[in-house]
Amino acid sequence: MPTSPVKGRIPLSSFGHLITEVKRQLFGIEAPAAVELTGWRKYFNSYTLQGRRNCVLATYGVLVLSAAAYLMHSRNKEGRQTSSSTT
Amino acid sequence: MTLSLFDQFMSPFLLGIPLIIIALTLPWSLFPTATHRWLNNRVLTLQGWFINRFTQQLLLPLSTAGHKWAVLLVSLMMYLITLNMLGLLPYTFTPTTQLSLNLALAVPLWLATVITGMRNQPTHALGHLLPEGTPTPLIPALIIIETISLFIRPLALGVRLTANLTAGHLLIQLTSTATFVLLPLMPAVAISTGALLFLLTLLEIAVAMIQAYVFVLLLSLYLQENV
Repeated sequence: MPTSPVKGRIPLSSFGHLITEVKRQLFGIEAPAAVELTGWRKYFNSYTLQGRRNCVLATYGVLVLSAAAYLMHSRNKEGRQTSSSTT
Repeated sequence: MTLSLFDQFMSPFLLGIPLIIIALTLPWSLFPTATHRWLNNRVLTLQGWFINRFTQQLLLPLSTAGHKWAVLLVSLMMYLITLNMLGLLPYTFTPTTQLSLNLALAVPLWLATVITGMRNQPTHALGHLLPEGTPTPLIPALIIIETISLFIRPLALGVRLTANLTAGHLLIQLTSTATFVLLPLMPAVAISTGALLFLLTLLEIAVAMIQAYVFVLLLSLYLQENV
């Protein structure tokens, strides 16, 4: 009967803990301690809670800005097309 | 008038009066209420024991702040289990086969858990949208995937209950129709179909209870993440 290669109990609702445990046990990749993170990695990383929050907010911000830029661009294009058809 | 297979799922009306109101309020009238007596009767004692055990089991993984949701979750469980079980009686209408009802239960409760999380611990709630230890190139994609999965939760809750109950009722109707039609033609086959119908009914009783439990359990899990 094949068993899971990951030893130890992993919380059922945590995908993140599963990724961390798999990386540690199967690939030997240890998660960096919070003090080791420097520069922009200190604020944007997937290890600390604040880092993850900042990544989420940055991603949402980029999406909202892209959507706003696209809407404004399409509105300008419509405006230019309307004014060129009336002249 | 010949009934089609899906007529059992149509919301019933009598002289223009929607009977779904009676179907929705019936469970409330069926449950015995606690009395002022020192010792209650057996039904009340059993009901109280079941509710206590279920509440303990459900609230075990929740923190103290989540215990405020005990009344809501347990009463929802009792309500759903009664609606589902009553619907297994012949010629009854099951309100939980209506997607509108299930979404009306799922969406506000899910939204309440999300808003609770955002209000009380916004960093934690936002941090949940990115699994810990995600490789850097995958971060934006995973955030979008987790956001989509967050918004799909109420839909999944409602559709799961609707689909399970509708499919079960439809199977029961098909099997019982087959049994009745085959009885004068091929009695031996009708007996096997009848046995299948019996087993299916037992399965549907289990599904009725399990689906109500799963609905409430998933809500408590979503609450666990946010409270």
